[in-house]
Amino acid sequence: MYRQGDVLIVPVAAEALPPGTDALPRQPRDGRGRLVLALGEVTGHAHAVVGPGTLVREPGPFGVSYLHLPDGGRVVHEEHAAIPLPKGWYRVVRQREYTPGAVRVVAD
Amino acid sequence: MSGGHALADEDRAARWRTVAAATGPADREAAEAGIRRAYAQAGLAAPERIVWAGSPLAATAAVLLLTGKEEWLPRELAERAAGTLRAAGVEPVAGGAGASVREAVRTQPWARARQRLHDDLGPAGWAGRWALAAAPLWEVTRALTERVRTGVTEALAPARDQETAVRLALLDAVLGQHDAPWLAAVTDEAESGPLAGVAAVARAAGWWWPYERVVIVAERPVELHRDEAGRLDRGDGPALAFPDGFALYAWRGMPVPAAFLEQLDELTPERIREEENAELRRVMLEHYGYERYLQESGAQPVHRDETGVLWRIALDGDEPVVMVEVVNSTPEPDGTHRTYWLRVPPRVRTAREGVAWTFGVDADAYHPERET
Repeated sequence: MYRQGDVLIVPVAAEALPPGTDALPRQPRDGRGRLVLALGEVTGHAHAVVGPGTLVREPGPFGVSYLHLPDGGRVVHEEHAAIPLPKGWYRVVRQREYTPGAVRVVAD
Repeated sequence: MSGGHALADEDRAARWRTVAAATGPADREAAEAGIRRAYAQAGLAAPERIVWAGSPLAATAAVLLLTGKEEWLPRELAERAAGTLRAAGVEPVAGGAGASVREAVRTQPWARARQRLHDDLGPAGWAGRWALAAAPLWEVTRALTERVRTGVTEALAPARDQETAVRLALLDAVLGQHDAPWLAAVTDEAESGPLAGVAAVARAAGWWWPYERVVIVAERPVELHRDEAGRLDRGDGPALAFPDGFALYAWRGMPVPAAFLEQLDELTPERIREEENAELRRVMLEHYGYERYLQESGAQPVHRDETGVLWRIALDGDEPVVMVEVVNSTPEPDGTHRTYWLRVPPRVRTAREGVAWTFGVDADAYHPERET
Protein backbone atom coordinates (compact mmCIF):
# COMPACT_ATOMS: atom_id res chain seq x y z
CA MET A 1 0.00 0.00 0.00
CA TYR A 2 1.05 3.58 -0.63
CA ARG A 3 0.29 6.76 1.26
CA GLN A 4 0.42 10.24 -0.22
CA GLY A 5 -0.63 12.78 2.39
CA ASP A 6 -4.23 12.07 3.34
CA VAL A 7 -4.80 9.41 0.67
CA LEU A 8 -4.07 5.70 1.07
CA ILE A 9 -3.79 3.59 -2.09
CA VAL A 10 -4.28 -0.11 -1.37
CA PRO A 11 -3.58 -2.79 -4.03
CA VAL A 12 -6.51 -5.16 -4.61
CA ALA A 13 -6.29 -8.42 -6.54
CA ALA A 14 -8.68 -8.33 -9.51
CA GLU A 15 -10.49 -11.45 -8.22
CA ALA A 16 -10.97 -9.78 -4.81
CA LEU A 17 -12.82 -6.74 -6.21
CA PRO A 18 -16.45 -6.42 -5.12
CA PRO A 19 -18.86 -7.79 -7.76
CA GLY A 20 -19.96 -5.09 -10.19
CA THR A 21 -16.86 -2.90 -9.78
CA ASP A 22 -16.38 -2.95 -13.56
CA ALA A 23 -19.86 -1.54 -14.08
CA LEU A 24 -19.52 1.36 -11.64
CA PRO A 25 -19.69 4.86 -13.15
CA ARG A 26 -16.31 6.02 -14.47
CA GLN A 27 -15.10 9.28 -13.00
CA PRO A 28 -14.36 11.91 -15.65
CA ARG A 29 -10.82 13.28 -16.00
CA ASP A 30 -10.26 16.88 -14.92
CA GLY A 31 -9.49 19.84 -17.19
CA ARG A 32 -5.82 18.77 -17.28
CA GLY A 33 -6.67 15.21 -18.31
CA ARG A 34 -5.89 13.70 -14.89
CA LEU A 35 -7.79 11.18 -12.78
CA VAL A 36 -8.36 13.04 -9.52
CA LEU A 37 -8.29 10.69 -6.53
CA ALA A 38 -8.93 13.43 -3.98
CA LEU A 39 -9.21 17.19 -4.18
CA GLY A 40 -8.23 19.53 -1.34
CA GLU A 41 -11.27 21.73 -0.91
CA VAL A 42 -9.30 24.59 0.61
CA THR A 43 -6.13 24.61 -1.50
CA GLY A 44 -7.49 23.11 -4.72
CA HIS A 45 -4.46 20.81 -4.72
CA ALA A 46 -5.18 17.33 -6.03
CA HIS A 47 -3.91 13.79 -5.56
CA ALA A 48 -4.10 12.74 -9.21
CA VAL A 49 -2.97 10.05 -11.62
CA VAL A 50 -1.56 10.96 -15.00
CA GLY A 51 -1.55 8.50 -17.89
CA PRO A 52 -3.85 5.68 -18.94
CA GLY A 53 -6.26 4.13 -16.45
CA THR A 54 -9.77 4.34 -15.07
CA LEU A 55 -11.25 5.50 -11.79
CA VAL A 56 -14.66 4.22 -10.67
CA ARG A 57 -16.61 5.17 -7.61
CA GLU A 58 -19.43 3.58 -5.66
CA PRO A 59 -22.46 5.89 -5.40
CA GLY A 60 -23.20 7.79 -2.19
CA PRO A 61 -21.20 10.11 0.04
CA PHE A 62 -19.17 7.26 1.55
CA GLY A 63 -18.74 5.36 -1.72
CA VAL A 64 -15.36 3.72 -2.23
CA SER A 65 -13.18 4.59 -5.24
CA TYR A 66 -11.28 1.95 -7.23
CA LEU A 67 -8.41 2.78 -9.55
CA HIS A 68 -7.38 0.54 -12.45
CA LEU A 69 -3.94 1.06 -13.98
CA PRO A 70 -3.46 -1.49 -16.80
CA ASP A 71 0.10 -0.26 -17.46
CA GLY A 72 0.96 1.20 -14.06
CA GLY A 73 1.14 4.95 -13.41
CA ARG A 74 2.17 7.75 -11.10
CA VAL A 75 0.19 9.57 -8.43
CA VAL A 76 1.18 13.22 -8.17
CA HIS A 77 0.35 16.14 -5.85
CA GLU A 78 1.39 19.79 -5.66
CA GLU A 79 2.99 19.35 -2.21
CA HIS A 80 3.96 15.68 -2.02
CA ALA A 81 6.55 13.65 -3.89
CA ALA A 82 5.13 11.53 -6.75
CA ILE A 83 4.66 7.81 -6.12
CA PRO A 84 5.02 5.27 -8.95
CA LEU A 85 2.33 2.57 -8.89
CA PRO A 86 2.70 -0.92 -10.46
CA LYS A 87 -0.04 -2.06 -12.83
CA GLY A 88 -3.22 -3.43 -11.25
CA TRP A 89 -6.31 -2.45 -9.26
CA TYR A 90 -6.28 -0.22 -6.17
CA ARG A 91 -8.75 0.84 -3.52
CA VAL A 92 -8.40 4.58 -2.83
CA VAL A 93 -9.06 5.63 0.77
CA ARG A 94 -9.38 9.24 1.97
CA GLN A 95 -8.18 9.91 5.49
CA ARG A 96 -10.91 10.67 8.04
CA GLU A 97 -11.07 12.14 11.50
CA TYR A 98 -13.15 11.16 14.49
CA THR A 99 -15.62 13.63 15.94
CA PRO A 100 -17.91 12.54 18.77
CA GLY A 101 -21.06 11.24 17.13
CA ALA A 102 -19.74 11.69 13.58
CA VAL A 103 -16.78 11.20 11.29
CA ARG A 104 -15.45 13.81 8.91
CA VAL A 105 -13.09 13.68 5.97
CA VAL A 106 -9.71 15.39 6.27
CA ALA A 107 -8.95 18.22 3.81
CA ASP A 108 -5.26 18.08 2.94
CA MET B 1 -36.46 15.95 -18.08
CA SER B 2 -34.00 17.49 -20.52
CA GLY B 3 -30.63 18.89 -19.55
CA GLY B 4 -31.82 22.36 -20.54
CA HIS B 5 -34.58 22.27 -17.94
CA ALA B 6 -32.19 21.03 -15.30
CA LEU B 7 -29.83 23.92 -15.91
CA ALA B 8 -32.64 26.44 -15.71
CA ASP B 9 -33.80 24.94 -12.41
CA GLU B 10 -30.30 25.31 -10.99
CA ASP B 11 -30.33 28.93 -12.11
CA ARG B 12 -33.59 29.38 -10.23
CA ALA B 13 -32.01 27.98 -7.09
CA ALA B 14 -28.94 30.21 -7.48
CA ARG B 15 -31.02 33.36 -7.98
CA TRP B 16 -33.15 32.74 -4.90
CA ARG B 17 -30.23 31.56 -2.80
CA THR B 18 -28.94 35.14 -3.00
CA VAL B 19 -32.32 36.44 -1.82
CA ALA B 20 -32.46 34.01 1.12
CA ALA B 21 -28.98 35.04 2.31
CA ALA B 22 -29.33 38.79 1.70
CA THR B 23 -28.35 41.13 4.52
CA GLY B 24 -28.49 44.87 4.95
CA PRO B 25 -31.24 47.49 4.97
CA ALA B 26 -34.51 46.63 3.26
CA ASP B 27 -35.42 48.39 0.04
CA ARG B 28 -38.49 49.89 1.70
CA GLU B 29 -39.90 51.49 -1.44
CA ALA B 30 -39.71 48.21 -3.39
CA ALA B 31 -41.08 46.22 -0.45
CA GLU B 32 -44.06 48.55 0.02
CA ALA B 33 -44.82 48.48 -3.71
CA GLY B 34 -44.65 44.68 -3.55
CA ILE B 35 -47.04 44.61 -0.59
CA ARG B 36 -49.58 46.79 -2.40
CA ARG B 37 -49.24 44.65 -5.50
CA ALA B 38 -49.78 41.47 -3.46
CA TYR B 39 -52.95 42.95 -1.92
CA ALA B 40 -54.22 44.03 -5.35
CA GLN B 41 -53.46 40.60 -6.82
CA ALA B 42 -55.45 39.05 -3.96
CA GLY B 43 -58.40 41.36 -4.74
CA LEU B 44 -57.98 43.27 -1.46
CA ALA B 45 -57.98 47.00 -0.73
CA ALA B 46 -54.49 48.39 -0.16
CA PRO B 47 -53.42 48.43 3.50
CA GLU B 48 -53.88 51.78 5.24
CA ARG B 49 -50.54 51.61 7.04
CA ILE B 50 -47.23 49.83 6.55
CA VAL B 51 -45.20 49.66 9.78
CA TRP B 52 -41.46 48.91 9.74
CA ALA B 53 -39.88 46.97 12.59
CA GLY B 54 -36.17 46.47 13.29
CA SER B 55 -36.37 42.66 13.53
CA PRO B 56 -38.79 39.72 13.52
CA LEU B 57 -38.71 40.05 17.32
CA ALA B 58 -39.92 43.67 17.28
CA ALA B 59 -42.46 42.82 14.57
CA THR B 60 -43.84 39.88 16.58
CA ALA B 61 -44.15 42.10 19.67
CA ALA B 62 -46.19 44.58 17.60
CA VAL B 63 -48.36 41.74 16.28
CA LEU B 64 -49.02 40.54 19.86
CA LEU B 65 -50.16 44.05 20.83
CA LEU B 66 -52.52 44.13 17.86
CA THR B 67 -53.98 40.74 18.79
CA GLY B 68 -54.51 41.52 22.50
CA LYS B 69 -51.67 39.50 24.00
CA GLU B 70 -49.79 42.40 25.47
CA GLU B 71 -50.47 41.96 29.21
CA TRP B 72 -47.63 39.47 29.74
CA LEU B 73 -45.17 40.84 27.18
CA PRO B 74 -41.87 41.95 28.70
CA ARG B 75 -42.54 45.62 29.50
CA GLU B 76 -39.63 47.13 27.59
CA LEU B 77 -40.41 45.22 24.41
CA ALA B 78 -44.14 46.06 24.68
CA GLU B 79 -43.41 49.76 25.13
CA ARG B 80 -40.99 49.84 22.24
CA ALA B 81 -43.48 48.03 19.96
CA ALA B 82 -46.28 50.39 21.02
CA GLY B 83 -44.05 53.36 20.19
CA THR B 84 -43.24 51.93 16.77
CA LEU B 85 -46.94 51.40 16.00
CA ARG B 86 -48.00 54.86 17.23
CA ALA B 87 -45.24 56.55 15.22
CA ALA B 88 -46.66 54.86 12.11
CA GLY B 89 -50.19 56.03 12.96
CA VAL B 90 -51.51 52.70 14.28
CA GLU B 91 -53.19 52.41 17.71
CA PRO B 92 -51.46 49.59 19.63
CA VAL B 93 -54.70 47.92 20.70
CA ALA B 94 -56.30 44.54 20.06
CA GLY B 95 -58.05 44.53 16.70
CA GLY B 96 -56.17 47.66 15.61
CA ALA B 97 -55.02 46.05 12.35
CA GLY B 98 -58.05 43.98 11.34
CA ALA B 99 -57.94 40.27 10.58
CA SER B 100 -54.97 38.41 9.09
CA VAL B 101 -55.11 38.19 5.29
CA ARG B 102 -52.11 35.86 4.96
CA GLU B 103 -54.30 33.16 3.46
CA ALA B 104 -55.50 35.43 0.62
CA VAL B 105 -52.18 37.19 0.01
CA ARG B 106 -49.74 34.31 0.23
CA THR B 107 -51.21 30.84 0.73
CA GLN B 108 -53.94 30.74 -1.91
CA PRO B 109 -51.87 32.24 -4.77
CA TRP B 110 -49.05 29.85 -3.87
CA ALA B 111 -51.42 26.85 -3.91
CA ARG B 112 -52.82 27.90 -7.29
CA ALA B 113 -49.34 28.46 -8.77
CA ARG B 114 -48.21 25.07 -7.52
CA GLN B 115 -51.31 23.39 -8.98
CA ARG B 116 -50.80 25.09 -12.37
CA LEU B 117 -47.18 23.97 -12.52
CA HIS B 118 -48.13 20.49 -11.36
CA ASP B 119 -50.64 20.32 -14.25
CA ASP B 120 -48.17 21.74 -16.79
CA LEU B 121 -45.10 19.71 -15.83
CA GLY B 122 -46.83 16.53 -14.65
CA PRO B 123 -46.19 14.93 -11.25
CA ALA B 124 -42.65 13.82 -12.15
CA GLY B 125 -41.83 17.18 -13.75
CA TRP B 126 -43.05 19.06 -10.69
CA ALA B 127 -41.07 16.73 -8.41
CA GLY B 128 -37.99 17.36 -10.55
CA ARG B 129 -38.53 21.11 -10.44
CA TRP B 130 -38.85 21.01 -6.66
CA ALA B 131 -35.78 18.77 -6.29
CA LEU B 132 -33.52 20.98 -8.40
CA ALA B 133 -34.83 24.49 -7.77
CA ALA B 134 -36.27 24.48 -4.25
CA ALA B 135 -34.86 21.56 -2.26
CA PRO B 136 -31.25 22.82 -2.20
CA LEU B 137 -32.46 25.92 -0.33
CA TRP B 138 -35.14 24.27 1.75
CA GLU B 139 -33.25 22.58 4.56
CA VAL B 140 -30.82 25.39 5.42
CA THR B 141 -33.45 28.10 5.13
CA ARG B 142 -35.92 26.15 7.24
CA ALA B 143 -33.26 25.59 9.89
CA LEU B 144 -32.57 29.33 9.92
CA THR B 145 -36.22 30.34 10.20
CA GLU B 146 -36.79 27.82 12.98
CA ARG B 147 -33.85 29.29 14.91
CA VAL B 148 -35.32 32.77 14.50
CA ARG B 149 -38.72 31.53 15.70
CA THR B 150 -37.09 29.91 18.73
CA GLY B 151 -35.11 33.07 19.51
CA VAL B 152 -38.22 35.24 19.25
CA THR B 153 -40.22 32.84 21.41
CA GLU B 154 -37.54 32.74 24.10
CA ALA B 155 -37.38 36.54 24.19
CA LEU B 156 -41.13 37.20 24.19
CA ALA B 157 -42.61 34.37 26.26
CA PRO B 158 -41.41 34.65 29.87
CA ALA B 159 -43.36 31.52 30.80
CA ARG B 160 -44.05 28.29 28.97
CA ASP B 161 -47.82 28.75 28.77
CA GLN B 162 -47.28 31.94 26.74
CA GLU B 163 -45.19 30.25 24.09
CA THR B 164 -48.26 29.11 22.14
CA ALA B 165 -49.44 32.70 21.64
CA VAL B 166 -46.01 33.70 20.32
CA ARG B 167 -45.83 30.66 18.04
CA LEU B 168 -49.29 31.50 16.66
CA ALA B 169 -48.24 35.11 16.00
CA LEU B 170 -45.18 33.80 14.17
CA LEU B 171 -47.35 31.51 12.04
CA ASP B 172 -49.16 34.61 10.71
CA ALA B 173 -45.93 35.81 9.10
CA VAL B 174 -45.08 35.67 5.43
CA LEU B 175 -41.36 34.93 5.48
CA GLY B 176 -40.17 37.46 2.89
CA GLN B 177 -36.59 36.60 1.88
CA HIS B 178 -36.93 33.24 3.65
CA ASP B 179 -39.77 32.24 1.31
CA ALA B 180 -37.01 31.95 -1.32
CA PRO B 181 -37.06 28.10 -1.48
CA TRP B 182 -40.67 27.81 -2.64
CA LEU B 183 -40.48 30.97 -4.74
CA ALA B 184 -37.56 29.31 -6.57
CA ALA B 185 -39.88 26.48 -7.58
CA VAL B 186 -42.42 28.92 -9.06
CA THR B 187 -39.95 31.52 -10.36
CA ASP B 188 -41.97 32.29 -13.49
CA GLU B 189 -45.09 33.07 -11.44
CA ALA B 190 -42.86 35.14 -9.16
CA GLU B 191 -41.48 37.26 -12.01
CA SER B 192 -44.72 38.52 -13.51
CA GLY B 193 -47.52 36.20 -12.42
CA PRO B 194 -49.89 36.14 -9.45
CA LEU B 195 -47.02 35.82 -6.96
CA ALA B 196 -45.12 38.84 -8.28
CA GLY B 197 -46.10 41.02 -5.31
CA VAL B 198 -45.07 38.43 -2.73
CA ALA B 199 -41.82 37.82 -4.62
CA ALA B 200 -41.03 41.54 -4.79
CA VAL B 201 -41.32 41.78 -0.99
CA ALA B 202 -39.06 38.72 -0.66
CA ARG B 203 -36.37 40.40 -2.74
CA ALA B 204 -36.58 43.60 -0.69
CA ALA B 205 -37.35 42.78 2.95
CA GLY B 206 -37.64 40.25 5.76
CA TRP B 207 -40.68 38.74 7.41
CA TRP B 208 -44.05 40.51 7.08
CA TRP B 209 -47.48 40.21 8.63
CA PRO B 210 -50.40 41.16 6.36
CA TYR B 211 -53.61 42.28 8.10
CA GLU B 212 -56.71 43.88 6.60
CA ARG B 213 -55.72 47.46 7.41
CA VAL B 214 -52.08 47.24 8.54
CA VAL B 215 -48.92 45.44 7.48
CA ILE B 216 -45.97 44.94 9.83
CA VAL B 217 -42.66 44.41 7.97
CA ALA B 218 -39.34 43.41 9.51
CA GLU B 219 -35.91 44.50 8.37
CA ARG B 220 -33.44 41.92 7.07
CA PRO B 221 -30.46 40.87 9.21
CA VAL B 222 -27.31 43.00 9.23
CA GLU B 223 -25.16 39.98 10.14
CA LEU B 224 -25.51 36.41 8.89
CA HIS B 225 -22.63 33.97 9.31
CA ARG B 226 -22.93 30.27 8.45
CA ASP B 227 -20.52 27.37 8.07
CA GLU B 228 -20.23 25.21 4.97
CA ALA B 229 -23.13 23.06 6.18
CA GLY B 230 -25.32 26.16 6.34
CA ARG B 231 -25.47 26.19 10.13
CA LEU B 232 -25.23 29.46 12.03
CA ASP B 233 -21.58 29.76 13.02
CA ARG B 234 -19.48 32.59 14.39
CA GLY B 235 -16.83 32.67 17.08
CA ASP B 236 -16.43 36.42 17.65
CA GLY B 237 -19.91 37.92 17.59
CA PRO B 238 -23.54 37.22 16.75
CA ALA B 239 -24.06 34.71 13.94
CA LEU B 240 -27.35 36.44 13.13
CA ALA B 241 -28.13 40.04 14.06
CA PHE B 242 -30.83 42.55 13.14
CA PRO B 243 -30.48 46.34 13.08
CA ASP B 244 -32.43 46.82 16.35
CA GLY B 245 -30.02 44.59 18.28
CA PHE B 246 -31.96 41.30 18.24
CA ALA B 247 -29.21 38.70 17.79
CA LEU B 248 -28.53 34.98 17.95
CA TYR B 249 -25.17 33.44 18.86
CA ALA B 250 -24.12 30.03 17.60
CA TRP B 251 -21.05 27.91 17.02
CA ARG B 252 -21.36 25.29 14.25
CA GLY B 253 -25.12 25.56 14.61
CA MET B 254 -25.12 25.08 18.37
CA PRO B 255 -26.79 27.98 20.19
CA VAL B 256 -24.42 29.51 22.75
CA PRO B 257 -24.81 32.48 25.13
CA ALA B 258 -23.22 35.75 23.95
CA ALA B 259 -21.07 35.85 27.10
CA PHE B 260 -19.67 32.44 26.25
CA LEU B 261 -18.16 33.68 22.98
CA GLU B 262 -16.66 36.73 24.66
CA GLN B 263 -14.46 34.56 26.84
CA LEU B 264 -13.23 32.29 24.02
CA ASP B 265 -10.25 34.52 23.31
CA GLU B 266 -9.16 34.38 26.95
CA LEU B 267 -9.35 30.62 27.34
CA THR B 268 -6.81 28.68 29.34
CA PRO B 269 -6.37 24.92 29.61
CA GLU B 270 -7.60 25.20 33.24
CA ARG B 271 -10.78 27.01 32.20
CA ILE B 272 -11.47 24.33 29.55
CA ARG B 273 -10.94 21.54 32.07
CA GLU B 274 -13.27 23.25 34.55
CA GLU B 275 -16.17 23.68 32.08
CA GLU B 276 -18.87 21.26 33.17
CA ASN B 277 -21.04 21.42 30.03
CA ALA B 278 -19.57 18.85 27.62
CA GLU B 279 -20.91 20.60 24.49
CA LEU B 280 -19.52 23.97 25.50
CA ARG B 281 -16.20 22.35 26.41
CA ARG B 282 -16.05 20.80 22.94
CA VAL B 283 -16.58 24.26 21.43
CA MET B 284 -13.84 25.63 23.66
CA LEU B 285 -11.40 22.89 22.67
CA GLU B 286 -12.09 23.34 19.00
CA HIS B 287 -11.70 27.11 19.25
CA TYR B 288 -8.54 26.88 21.35
CA GLY B 289 -7.00 24.26 19.06
CA TYR B 290 -6.30 20.68 20.09
CA GLU B 291 -2.64 21.06 19.20
CA ARG B 292 -2.17 24.11 21.40
CA TYR B 293 -4.16 22.48 24.17
CA LEU B 294 -1.93 19.41 24.03
CA GLN B 295 1.18 21.53 24.27
CA GLU B 296 -0.01 23.92 26.97
CA SER B 297 -1.91 21.48 29.14
CA GLY B 298 1.18 19.32 29.54
CA ALA B 299 -0.54 16.30 27.98
CA GLN B 300 1.74 13.26 27.85
CA PRO B 301 2.05 10.99 24.83
CA VAL B 302 0.67 7.52 25.59
CA HIS B 303 2.29 5.65 22.71
CA ARG B 304 4.86 6.20 20.03
CA ASP B 305 5.89 4.12 17.00
CA GLU B 306 7.12 4.67 13.43
CA THR B 307 3.66 5.84 12.27
CA GLY B 308 3.39 8.69 14.80
CA VAL B 309 2.54 9.58 18.39
CA LEU B 310 -0.70 8.93 20.28
CA TRP B 311 -1.94 11.54 22.76
CA ARG B 312 -4.76 11.30 25.26
CA ILE B 313 -6.53 14.04 27.23
CA ALA B 314 -8.88 12.86 29.99
CA LEU B 315 -12.01 14.99 30.45
CA ASP B 316 -14.40 14.81 33.39
CA GLY B 317 -17.85 13.63 32.36
CA ASP B 318 -17.00 13.27 28.68
CA GLU B 319 -15.13 10.81 26.51
CA PRO B 320 -11.39 11.48 26.37
CA VAL B 321 -9.85 13.29 23.40
CA VAL B 322 -7.46 10.83 21.73
CA MET B 323 -5.31 12.10 18.86
CA VAL B 324 -2.57 10.80 16.61
CA GLU B 325 0.26 13.13 15.72
CA VAL B 326 1.39 12.39 12.19
CA VAL B 327 4.41 13.77 10.38
CA ASN B 328 4.19 14.41 6.64
CA SER B 329 6.95 12.49 4.87
CA THR B 330 7.49 15.16 2.22
CA PRO B 331 9.47 18.12 3.59
CA GLU B 332 8.06 21.63 3.30
CA PRO B 333 10.01 24.13 1.12
CA ASP B 334 11.96 25.22 4.23
CA GLY B 335 13.07 21.64 4.93
CA THR B 336 10.84 21.07 7.95
CA HIS B 337 8.22 18.34 8.12
CA ARG B 338 4.64 19.41 8.72
CA THR B 339 3.04 17.80 11.75
CA TYR B 340 -0.69 17.40 12.07
CA TRP B 341 -3.09 15.98 14.62
CA LEU B 342 -6.11 13.82 13.88
CA ARG B 343 -8.71 12.90 16.45
CA VAL B 344 -9.43 9.15 16.63
CA PRO B 345 -11.95 7.08 18.64
CA PRO B 346 -11.18 6.88 22.37
CA ARG B 347 -10.71 3.09 22.25
CA VAL B 348 -7.51 3.48 20.19
CA ARG B 349 -4.40 2.35 22.16
CA THR B 350 -1.44 2.70 19.78
CA ALA B 351 -0.28 5.24 17.21
CA ARG B 352 -0.39 2.64 14.43
CA GLU B 353 -3.94 1.66 15.40
CA GLY B 354 -4.89 5.35 15.30
CA VAL B 355 -3.36 6.10 11.91
CA ALA B 356 -4.81 2.85 10.50
CA TRP B 357 -8.25 3.87 11.80
CA THR B 358 -8.05 7.20 9.93
CA PHE B 359 -7.78 5.15 6.73
CA GLY B 360 -10.37 2.56 7.77
CA VAL B 361 -7.93 -0.36 7.83
CA ASP B 362 -6.80 -2.70 10.61
CA ALA B 363 -3.62 -1.84 12.49
CA ASP B 364 -2.07 -5.18 11.44
CA ALA B 365 -2.73 -4.41 7.77
CA TYR B 366 -1.40 -0.84 7.82
CA HIS B 367 2.10 -1.01 6.35
CA PRO B 368 2.62 1.54 3.54
CA GLU B 369 5.68 0.63 1.51
CA ARG B 370 6.03 4.21 0.34
CA GLU B 371 4.86 7.44 2.01
CA THR B 372 5.18 10.99 0.74
